[in-house]
Amino acid sequence: MNNEELLRRVGTGDEGAFRQLYQDTDRVLYSFILSVIRNPQDAEEVMQETYLKIWTSAASYRPQGKPLAWMFTIARNLCYMKFRDQKRMADIGLDELSGEEAGEVCLPLENMTDAIVLKAALDILKEEERQIVLLHTSAGLKHREIAAALQMPLPTVLSKYNRSMKKLQQYLREE
Amino acid sequence: MKQNSDRLELNVDEIEQHLKSAVDALTPDVLGRIDLTRGQEPEMQRLDVKTHEPGTQRLDVKMHEPGAGADETDFPGQWTGGNHRQNRGWMRRFALAAAACICVAFVGGGMIQYRDRKVDSVIGIDVNPSVELSINRKHRVLGTRALNTDAVEIMTDMDLKGVELNVAVNAVIGSMVTHGYLDELDNAILVTVSNDSVAKATELRTSVVDDIERTLKENQVEAVVYDQQVVEKDEMKELADRYGISYGKAYFLKELIEQNEGLTMDDMKELSNMTMEEIAKKITEDSFALGGLASKVERTGETAETKTAAPEAGSEADGTEGAETAGGETSEAVETSGAEGTVEAGDALKTGETSEAADTSKAADTSEAATPSESAETSAASESPNQEDPEGFPDEVEPGLVEIDYVDYEDDTVYVYFVTRVKWKNPTVSVRDEDGNSYAAKVEDTSSDECTIAVSGLEGGRSYAFVLGGLIPKESKKATTVTGYFDKPEIAWNADEPETEEMEESEDDREE
Repeated sequence: MNNEELLRRVGTGDEGAFRQLYQDTDRVLYSFILSVIRNPQDAEEVMQETYLKIWTSAASYRPQGKPLAWMFTIARNLCYMKFRDQKRMADIGLDELSGEEAGEVCLPLENMTDAIVLKAALDILKEEERQIVLLHTSAGLKHREIAAALQMPLPTVLSKYNRSMKKLQQYLREE
Repeated sequence: MKQNSDRLELNVDEIEQHLKSAVDALTPDVLGRIDLTRGQEPEMQRLDVKTHEPGTQRLDVKMHEPGAGADETDFPGQWTGGNHRQNRGWMRRFALAAAACICVAFVGGGMIQYRDRKVDSVIGIDVNPSVELSINRKHRVLGTRALNTDAVEIMTDMDLKGVELNVAVNAVIGSMVTHGYLDELDNAILVTVSNDSVAKATELRTSVVDDIERTLKENQVEAVVYDQQVVEKDEMKELADRYGISYGKAYFLKELIEQNEGLTMDDMKELSNMTMEEIAKKITEDSFALGGLASKVERTGETAETKTAAPEAGSEADGTEGAETAGGETSEAVETSGAEGTVEAGDALKTGETSEAADTSKAADTSEAATPSESAETSAASESPNQEDPEGFPDEVEPGLVEIDYVDYEDDTVYVYFVTRVKWKNPTVSVRDEDGNSYAAKVEDTSSDECTIAVSGLEGGRSYAFVLGGLIPKESKKATTVTGYFDKPEIAWNADEPETEEMEESEDDREE
């Protein structure tokens, strides 16, 4: 069953469909949220809020073949609300990932290279670039799926991805 | 992978793997924490509450209505210790006051409701789908009309009643994009605002065009946007009915025919069957002047790109009143039509009159050559006091305002890095070569110290200049422009190819 159909069922209160939707999309949604909010702890909170909102609002989803775009819109709005609530902007860093004091956040990333590369991606790439890179590398979306979900032309996605990877390569080489 | 101290020499595959591994490790499982006992929100209920203001007002009154119960809580000593007669007297007075309030609220609410249900303006949006939105004085949609079969298609399942105009415009344009009526190239949109008040129509026109531009940008679509404000005339209604087109399109075409000797009313049939994209193309190819009511929007970087796709139509220099507003001048006209609001109603409608005086000579130039470079130039010029040299490359911007650190070009993108910290407001850009030819360009991304410009159609081995507008030095409040230069190397195409192949390979790999 595709996400569109799952979302329709979720709109009717089908908990099984919601669980399935969650399992099918959690990596994608987390990658997206992390790319916007750049902080794993906040991303987790927003992810929870996003799925709750998806559950409560699914009835208002109108099938247009872009369920991910709809879910991303919810997630993006919640991220921005989070920014407003906390009165801090997206450039609050991921110091925790590499900082000494943030052992808790570091725990899931025992691999130091993973942490350095992710931190670099979150630090030096722009929001759209981060979204494209994380959705492709971490969530495994194809470029054309990203183009549809982010409502961008495919060539833009491809060129931004290409450019981002070069930037990352260069940054990691020089840092 | 090589690792020297903190330096990592990773290839693309390795970076991808590390990112995947990192996010895999971080992705939480929050499913168990989601409260599925929370009820689901029925859609219509939310919409009603959001959009029905008079209803909300009534609700407020009702909430205060059971005052007696609240009084006991508010003044327990007074009521429990006092005599019942006094109690009843106070209640009677309170009940009378409450009843009076309710009456006032109902009468007032009724009046408000009546005024809110009255059509204040009609907004027409023509691409090929032609849609009309009737709105009330609060800019909420009272009704929509799909004026052709394409419009029926895009408006299916779309209930915009009670929705704010900007949301409705966003939805309509978004639906046009979704249904493929606005794609990546050669789009044209006609926006028509019909309102008896010229001032209000002007305000609305600016607002709607802004909404459309924003929506186009969000959807990464470029389009030539023509906008016009009209008053209702029976003859135009008949014309629209006769050709089965929208009122706005009828007005636009009639004005177009009147402004151009090469067109007669016999052409109306052919023109009315064309999409706005086709009409825009014809205007460009045949160098037609726009009608006096219409102007072509060239305000943002987004629309700046459209200048090359559809160069400004040549205007007559025959000194007629209509010619004042036509052709090349409209590029300036639009710039000011929103801000200055000098638009008059009726047949004598003129857009952007305010900008003419200083630019008469330039307008004449534009009418002669009608090249995209000039139209781009006028747009940039009106954005800022820093004028460009109409011949060849522009002069350097006034020093000390915004300083560019360096400029880089790669893959049809210009990366501009600033020394000066800047803010942005409606960024615009024009890109030209040494011969003054303009190229499709738009500001794609901005930040306080850099911006990216997407540009297409450049030849390798040549030098180009760009003029960025809408940037404000951090210490200043005034928007300014800055000029920069870059080269597109000859080898750029060859250099791109392997990357593209690599990208396609990786894409294919994933699909397998």
